[in-house]
Amino acid sequence: MTHPVLELHDLDIAIAGRRIVLDLSFAIDKGETLALIGESGSGKSMTALAIMGLLPPNAQLGARSRLLLDGVPLRPDDETAMRALRGRRMSMVFQDPMSCLSPFMTVGGQIAEAIDRAGAADRTSRRERLIELIELVELPDPPSIVRRFPHELSGGQQQRAMLAMALAAEPRLLIADEPTSALDATVQAEILALLKRLQARIGNAMLFITHDLAAAADLAQQLVVMRAGEAVEQGAAGAVLAHPKHDYTRRLVSTRSILRAAPAPAAVTRGQPAVEVSQLAYDYPVRRLFARPWRALDGVSLRIGAGETLGILGESGSGKSTLAKLVSGLLRPTSGEISLFGAPIAHARTIDRDLRRRCQIIFQNPYGALNPRLTIESAMREPLELLRLSGSGSAEKIERALADVNLGPEYLHRYPHQLSGGQRQRVCIARALLSEPELLICDEIVSALDATVQMQVLLMLKELQATRGFAMMFVGHDIEIVRWISDRIAVMHRGRIVEQGDAAAILTAPREPYTRKLIAAMLPPLPDVTITDATQVA
Amino acid sequence: MARVLSVLGTLLRGLVQCACIVMLTFLLCRVMPGDVVDVLGLEGGLTAEQQAQMRHDLGLDQPLAVQFGDWVTHAVAGDFGRSIRFDRPVMDMLATAVPVTLRLTVLSFAFGLTLALVLALAATARPSRLFDVLIDGVNIWSIAVPTFCAGVIAILVFSIWLGWLPVIGGLLAPVLIIGLDNAGQIVKQLREELKEAVTLPHVRTARAKGLSPWRVSVFHVMPATMGVVLALSGLVLGSLVAGSLTMEVLFALPGLGSLTLNAIHGRDYPVILAAVTLISVSLVLINTTMDVLHRLVDPRLA
Repeated sequence: MTHPVLELHDLDIAIAGRRIVLDLSFAIDKGETLALIGESGSGKSMTALAIMGLLPPNAQLGARSRLLLDGVPLRPDDETAMRALRGRRMSMVFQDPMSCLSPFMTVGGQIAEAIDRAGAADRTSRRERLIELIELVELPDPPSIVRRFPHELSGGQQQRAMLAMALAAEPRLLIADEPTSALDATVQAEILALLKRLQARIGNAMLFITHDLAAAADLAQQLVVMRAGEAVEQGAAGAVLAHPKHDYTRRLVSTRSILRAAPAPAAVTRGQPAVEVSQLAYDYPVRRLFARPWRALDGVSLRIGAGETLGILGESGSGKSTLAKLVSGLLRPTSGEISLFGAPIAHARTIDRDLRRRCQIIFQNPYGALNPRLTIESAMREPLELLRLSGSGSAEKIERALADVNLGPEYLHRYPHQLSGGQRQRVCIARALLSEPELLICDEIVSALDATVQMQVLLMLKELQATRGFAMMFVGHDIEIVRWISDRIAVMHRGRIVEQGDAAAILTAPREPYTRKLIAAMLPPLPDVTITDATQVA
Repeated sequence: MARVLSVLGTLLRGLVQCACIVMLTFLLCRVMPGDVVDVLGLEGGLTAEQQAQMRHDLGLDQPLAVQFGDWVTHAVAGDFGRSIRFDRPVMDMLATAVPVTLRLTVLSFAFGLTLALVLALAATARPSRLFDVLIDGVNIWSIAVPTFCAGVIAILVFSIWLGWLPVIGGLLAPVLIIGLDNAGQIVKQLREELKEAVTLPHVRTARAKGLSPWRVSVFHVMPATMGVVLALSGLVLGSLVAGSLTMEVLFALPGLGSLTLNAIHGRDYPVILAAVTLISVSLVLINTTMDVLHRLVDPRLA
């Protein structure tokens, strides 16, 4: 009789009396991939740690929970028994490869540790195996990779090294916990393809944990959708995606299809442009003597018309956030010109209050952008006071601004920690719109949010723009989101704008090789789904 | 190459610091009211003429800059002159004093660091009330009780009440007292650092690989705490070299501390200068060593 590689029956995890995972059951066969999908805090990582026997000490498994590896019961609280299995029968790769590799040991040393776990080997055969593994995960120049430290590798290379480590013993089960979330889109596509190839070669069962529906659809034969610790929907991947039954899965699926159907670009209004940037360059200052300054931006020219949305698309390190800071006057350029509504600000000593009022910026991390010691009301009152706009009507103004982002007056007296990430970002948007700006700079404002929340925020923003008519500079790395919200797109790569044009044109007929590479990295579309009703999301 | 350059840079910075310290000491020696001739004059009843002659012989009537230049040229060649009071080469005096101080410092530091490491590691591996109380106890002791107080108590208890000799002149009591003080300065932070280190993502990776607890702690947890251990060790060692002064006087150890103190009392410039130079050079050496060690442990710094 053959058993599935991994079986979970009624997995139940509680931390300090609070139940994190409730009655989760599934099974994965040899050579098969099961994707566990859910938002942050849905209990998916805890499930993985329970299987590995790495739960934090204050976590407790339910009495009825049964975990089986190849038909043999696992005892996650027996450290010695679990340790014998880890690194041999099952292994795991984590989300952020930079911090998950030891900074103090060479890559070769860390993989060698895993090889030693797989079975005693003499020096030469260990060295051979090391090179073999590095070649297996398709890293270039193995002899030099062996000697390097993790910080000398790129994010994608680090994750490959993690994979080499995890696969040293050719495990029966590989758990991949958000292995590509911290990586750029092009790198993400490479790693997903590599995972598939490796599985075909080794034949391991894979538990793939992700928040990204498209990545799950690309990789998995089975899907389990988790919400608040419960599996709300599970089954064969094709069936779940084509006929999502649960409301939450439907929202996830429809988010994707809404993004696919981008709205028509707004009619460009004539008149004075909101932003005009020409030949902008910025050098990050150096801290060491004789080192050359780091040129983060070089020869950037662009223009945003009144009421228009320009998307700035780029991967990490492309200079897109630097550009956002320069345009909002938070940094001074090394050379070049910036003008806001016709007023040059590049070399002005101060930016006058009226200009500040007309241009507002929203940042990526809503946790950091709100002072934890101020209530929502006082946080929103601050810009009014600074811009000398406060008066008798301030209270109503703030209440109205909150209502615009679908938050009731009951939020006025709450503190940021009492709000969810999406609510916090909505407060930030409301605060930015208080002064009725004519230009809104959005620096990766939805990147820290869960997929369904992202869509809510984007829809809301688009609606506000339609009624108020402000121009937007929308900085992002997600090609679908940037396309959906923008009229025009500028693609950035290594501090330069490589291509600029109409949003639709750039995606359908890219001219530059880099843009083509970005588009090629997009995951294949989901099977056609009938739900495209936007109201279900908002 | 970058690594070698950055180490050289650290050394260079240290040497500049040394030069400044030596210059400042030289100046401070001279602005103190009364010089060596005054002291000898009072003791030996010299006439004003004899005193002037003596100042001339010693070169004390020369401009300060010339005196300093003279001293530096000789010091670089390893000649720190002769003690004015004892009429012995300063080099000889240092040669007898330094080994005493070195033994005291090395032994106390080794004892302190070992105690701190053992306590902190034990508390991390087997969290218990007992270890927490011990760690807090040692920490509070080192903050609240100055070493000279502990020294006086030790003499009172061991040599006067219990009659265990030799406490004076022996190394055991001062080593225990200074070592305990050092341990208190290190142990608390080390414990906190370890508590944090065991939750680091790369330590979780090491556990997910199925490595033995011993291997996880030595190769994955310990390196993460080395930054703090080295930084604190540098501070503690620095204060040891300076702080040996009181302990040596209290326990009548003929080390660098006693030598310096006597020299200051007697306005014995050559000895003061030589001792201060030696102490500042050793401080710079300690800091540089810690810096280099840190760079070796953590390749990201190089």
